[in-house]
Amino acid sequence: MCRIGAIKSKKYLHPSIALKLMRSQQKGHDNSGFAFVMQDLGGIFNAHKDLPTLSLAATVEGTRRAEDILHDLGFTRVLQWAPEINHQKSLKIEPMPNYVFETFQYPKSHKYATQEEKEELLIDTALLLRKELEKDNSGYVYSFWPDVLTLKEIGSPKDIGTYFGLWEENEELCAKVITAQCRQNTNYDIVRYAAHPFFLDGYTILANGENTFFEKNRDYQRSLYKGYIGFESDSQCFLYTLHYINKILKWPIQYYKHTITPLPFEEIEARQDKDILLRIKASLSHLEINGPNTIFGVLPNGEMLCVCDSKKLRPVVIGQDDDTVIMTSEVTGINDIMPGRDIAKDIYPNEKETIIVKNDLTVERWKQ
Amino acid sequence: MEAVNITNLNLDDLPWIIEYDESKCIQCGKCTAVCSFGAIKPDVETRRELSNGLKKPSFHKVLVIKQKVSYTHHCRGCGMCSRVCPNGAIKAVRNPNDRYSVRYRAAKAESLKKGGRSNLNTEGRTLDKIKIGRISQMTDPSLDAARHKFELRTPFGRILSAEKLNLHLENNNMELSTKLPPNRWIYPILMGDMSIGAVSWRMWEAMAIATAYLNEVMGLPVRMCTGEGGIPIRLLKSKYVKYMILQIASGHFGWNRIIQSMPDMIEDPAGILIKIGQGAKPGDGGLLMASKVAKYVQEIRGVPKADLLSPPTHQGLYSIEESVQKMFLSMNAAFNFKVPVAIKVAASVTSVSVYNNLLRDPYNIVGGFFIDGLAGGTGAAHEISLDHTGHPITSKLRDCYLAAVHQGRQGEIPLFAGGGLGQTGSFAADAFKLICLGANGVFTGRLLLEIAGCVGNDTGKCNSCNTGLCPAGIATQDLCLTKRLDIDSAAQNIVNYFIATDMELKKLMGPIGNSTLPIGRSDALITVDKHISNRLDIQYAC
Amino acid sequence: MNNETVKIQTLNNNNRMSTQELLQLITQKLEEGYTNFEIDGCGQHNIGGSSWSKDRKSELLFKIKNPGQRAGAMALKGTKIVIDGSAPADVGWLNSGATIIVKGDCGDTAAHCAAGGKIYVSGRVGTRSGALMKHDPKFEVPEFWVLKNTGSFGFEFMGGGIAVVCGWDCENISSVLGSRSCVGMVGGTIYVRGNFNDIASCVEVKPLDDNDINFLKSGLVKFLNEIDKSELFDKLTNFTEWKKIVPVSSGNKKERMSVSEFRKNNWIENGIFGDFINDDFTVYPMPSTGAGRIHIPKWNKENCIDCKICFNNCPQNAIEYENKIYHSADDKCIGCGICEAVCPKKCWEIISDRKEIS
Repeated sequence: MCRIGAIKSKKYLHPSIALKLMRSQQKGHDNSGFAFVMQDLGGIFNAHKDLPTLSLAATVEGTRRAEDILHDLGFTRVLQWAPEINHQKSLKIEPMPNYVFETFQYPKSHKYATQEEKEELLIDTALLLRKELEKDNSGYVYSFWPDVLTLKEIGSPKDIGTYFGLWEENEELCAKVITAQCRQNTNYDIVRYAAHPFFLDGYTILANGENTFFEKNRDYQRSLYKGYIGFESDSQCFLYTLHYINKILKWPIQYYKHTITPLPFEEIEARQDKDILLRIKASLSHLEINGPNTIFGVLPNGEMLCVCDSKKLRPVVIGQDDDTVIMTSEVTGINDIMPGRDIAKDIYPNEKETIIVKNDLTVERWKQ
Repeated sequence: MEAVNITNLNLDDLPWIIEYDESKCIQCGKCTAVCSFGAIKPDVETRRELSNGLKKPSFHKVLVIKQKVSYTHHCRGCGMCSRVCPNGAIKAVRNPNDRYSVRYRAAKAESLKKGGRSNLNTEGRTLDKIKIGRISQMTDPSLDAARHKFELRTPFGRILSAEKLNLHLENNNMELSTKLPPNRWIYPILMGDMSIGAVSWRMWEAMAIATAYLNEVMGLPVRMCTGEGGIPIRLLKSKYVKYMILQIASGHFGWNRIIQSMPDMIEDPAGILIKIGQGAKPGDGGLLMASKVAKYVQEIRGVPKADLLSPPTHQGLYSIEESVQKMFLSMNAAFNFKVPVAIKVAASVTSVSVYNNLLRDPYNIVGGFFIDGLAGGTGAAHEISLDHTGHPITSKLRDCYLAAVHQGRQGEIPLFAGGGLGQTGSFAADAFKLICLGANGVFTGRLLLEIAGCVGNDTGKCNSCNTGLCPAGIATQDLCLTKRLDIDSAAQNIVNYFIATDMELKKLMGPIGNSTLPIGRSDALITVDKHISNRLDIQYAC
Repeated sequence: MNNETVKIQTLNNNNRMSTQELLQLITQKLEEGYTNFEIDGCGQHNIGGSSWSKDRKSELLFKIKNPGQRAGAMALKGTKIVIDGSAPADVGWLNSGATIIVKGDCGDTAAHCAAGGKIYVSGRVGTRSGALMKHDPKFEVPEFWVLKNTGSFGFEFMGGGIAVVCGWDCENISSVLGSRSCVGMVGGTIYVRGNFNDIASCVEVKPLDDNDINFLKSGLVKFLNEIDKSELFDKLTNFTEWKKIVPVSSGNKKERMSVSEFRKNNWIENGIFGDFINDDFTVYPMPSTGAGRIHIPKWNKENCIDCKICFNNCPQNAIEYENKIYHSADDKCIGCGICEAVCPKKCWEIISDRKEIS
């Protein structure tokens, strides 16, 4: 059981809020790691929201190689930030030597490039960096995208927070969207890439679950798009399917739920759009998921998303006040950081729903 | 006295020996009355009593049951005699010294024919060496059939990739491409593929009734393949034709009636199946012995009473391109591109090439690929074909699936596998394993006959479908024998078997945590055989 | 015994007391004779569960804020647990006698396997709530009261006890029991107010009788009082808005149509081959007489010596003769061939021609 959280706010929030959100939800295995993705950045990254930021954990050599590759491609650094490391022997953490958060100017060749061309370049570059650093395990490229910052580490969440000084609020590091999880995948060898949230091409996904159609999903996704790689966690499939539906196929986000957990036939038969739903069910049967899951996502436009498996086997609750909406596994986290909210407004999504948090924080509930 | 010639057929050459206990026999005559092969008959034997010294030895006569030693009237081991014997005085016993097949060829200068299936099981069954080993234990919950909705449906028809659906917004509504091939969602087990003529009218109708019942009463969308022997017009013009997949094989039997019925059909058929070959006798055409070409069979097929041989290939189809153009295009066109058209081939080393070509067909008119393995059944075949030609189904199905995965096109042409499924008792397990290996569904014919009352087995019992003397009324056109078959019981048994199999499939889906078909979920399988593990790319376990 | 309230803060700066530490502290205080607790939780599990006072007689009271999962799990009679606000999954799991009051919502599987005591919820409860509730007749009936609605898949495999779903403030909800509730339910009663649909076929919906109404009336007074909503009593006691759900009694299960009936009533009249052949679908026994025989004896006068061996040996007594003319009666003869075998002059011939249907 991992526990996940996603926060969207009108105000810039420091990642300590994610630590506090997850703190009360600890389970037996949940001291194995901590990872978060910050989007819509404030603080020192606010000045370069349209330029890509590299989130990298690497050895000294790995850092140098990554920078060389970027330099060779024509990227020029405009900003560099590193967390202030608070090293104490007692902390349970397996840190990498370097944590690099650097913002780059696009290469001159892309000065007049379209948005698509720039995105293509960033995806190719991130894939190249990952491939190069993977050769000798000299580093992990978590994201390379405008207005996105990712940190993943192995160890106790509380200690990871202490190590990076994340418990202390400051204005340098803040964002309006933060997604976090406090556990590594403990089913297999612990791998940094296997930690949620996962990021690709503007889409972020994190999940509490077990995807028993992993092999089916993976076998199909491998041939769909170059960025569908890794598969260190069965939850990466959720990200790739979301990306495929929304970005590649350009289908509205409603069809995500129809793809991963299609309605039963008898319900489809009674619907006006049955032809569409049956075709999706047939064409994308290999992207269907089975098994217990709660999935949170962030879309490129900044909207937040929540869906569950068709049997609603994993917990989820959404709390809100005027400034902030929080999705998380258990209500205890929301109780801690939003104690004064109106609990009658809490939302317990059901097995048929897609929840969308718009940028003005209105919450839409779509019945599948 | 009749001299014994050493070259004649002798009792101990026969495959089955009648064991007869004279002391239990009351000479009621039932055994000889029911033997459709005429393999036993009453006879009078003379017995000599020992002289007591005062007079010559005396003789007396007794009535006994005797086995015939004959190429035409030999015992097939069907066991009807012991079924009717009130005292258990008679039974057929397998002869370990059987030399019948050698004798037959030597005496007749003919290849040996039989029905049923191959009796040469040298390899053992791959499917039995595979277990469902990925059980949901704590990582995720096992499901249970009572509590969760299980969806046992599989697509039939050409499935286009999501890009080609062209799902787009039009006037605020989502719209699909208007030119999509027909798709149907059907039960993952298809029945039939046995022709009118090969089986009796009662057996064929029992399957059709069972199909209709499963759909209309049980809500299971089971489809029946008609076989190549045509379809009665009454069925074609009824609403039940929507459950029928009409077959066309090289003989094209009965198609004039189908074509003539088209304007009057109130429903589209479930599909069309172009039969290229059959797993039991791959590369050999259909064979219907004259004894089974009854008058109504002659009418439906448009032929006289004669041995009917379908050519081993469709005349005029000598390449895949031609096949696609002529057969697929024509069959699609005949039903206005509204009915899925699939193809059935015997499993072969070449199956993957065929499948690859079909996947790359630019017209998207191939709606299913049926592969029939060597353990399948047949109404009649040369023993040499049955026992020595063909390809096992499991690895071939897997090869085809992985070939599709390699191209990122899995599921685009649904795969159906058959041939000897349920042989060792559990059809649901065989079906489930093949589905995990990549099949969209499976098909079965012979098993239905066994469910209906066929007494044959895989070790030579009966297997006389070719003779037209089927003692169970299944593979015969004889009036008296056919009337032994209770059409209602036969259909009821098939229905019951499907209901049980449906439950059992759910019993296998639950433990792996799936409520929809685990097509291609080979991670759920393990095998205790290293070679199978390597060949099928599934986990080795010991 | 000590009546002083034990107050526990589980969060100090960024240090959170673990579930283990908290439960061990509570046990220690119980052993010291304390019975009243106020716990400011931070998601710790199992608070208030499996506890009893040192003297085994005094009542225990837990007032909890922000508990984690399984608040009141395995709690015993004599324990009262009051949760201020919402609680996550498994509230009152295996409740064996405690009164558990939740002034907020419950997560999934509330009252799961509850077999005693009372669970009062002033808000909603999540998926699979009330599943496997049961009732041991030697103990009091477990009760599970919910002011608003439940998530889907509720009351699965329920074996006993009483659940009450009041449907308050649920006018816009299409089903106050979510979807697919009551699957596998074999015992107990659920009272529901408001709309619900998609329940399992193993249960039936009935109107309330006087006993039901009396139970609800007295129960509602207590329930609403405990959750501080007594003012709703009048609004919830229009009993025409209520129904009860109980398992279908075994006599009411209907049988499936037989295939034989299907063929006679639904199938194509006279069968699909009816235009070729005339088959009334009767079944011939083995062996058969008359037209059902596969072997038929034929008598040939030529060599007959009128010895009557065939007549005397026919097992069916089917052979008749008159004026040296022999004949096998079709209604008796099964075609066994004994006449042919025993005839010394080979006057009987067995015809085994195949016959076709017409």
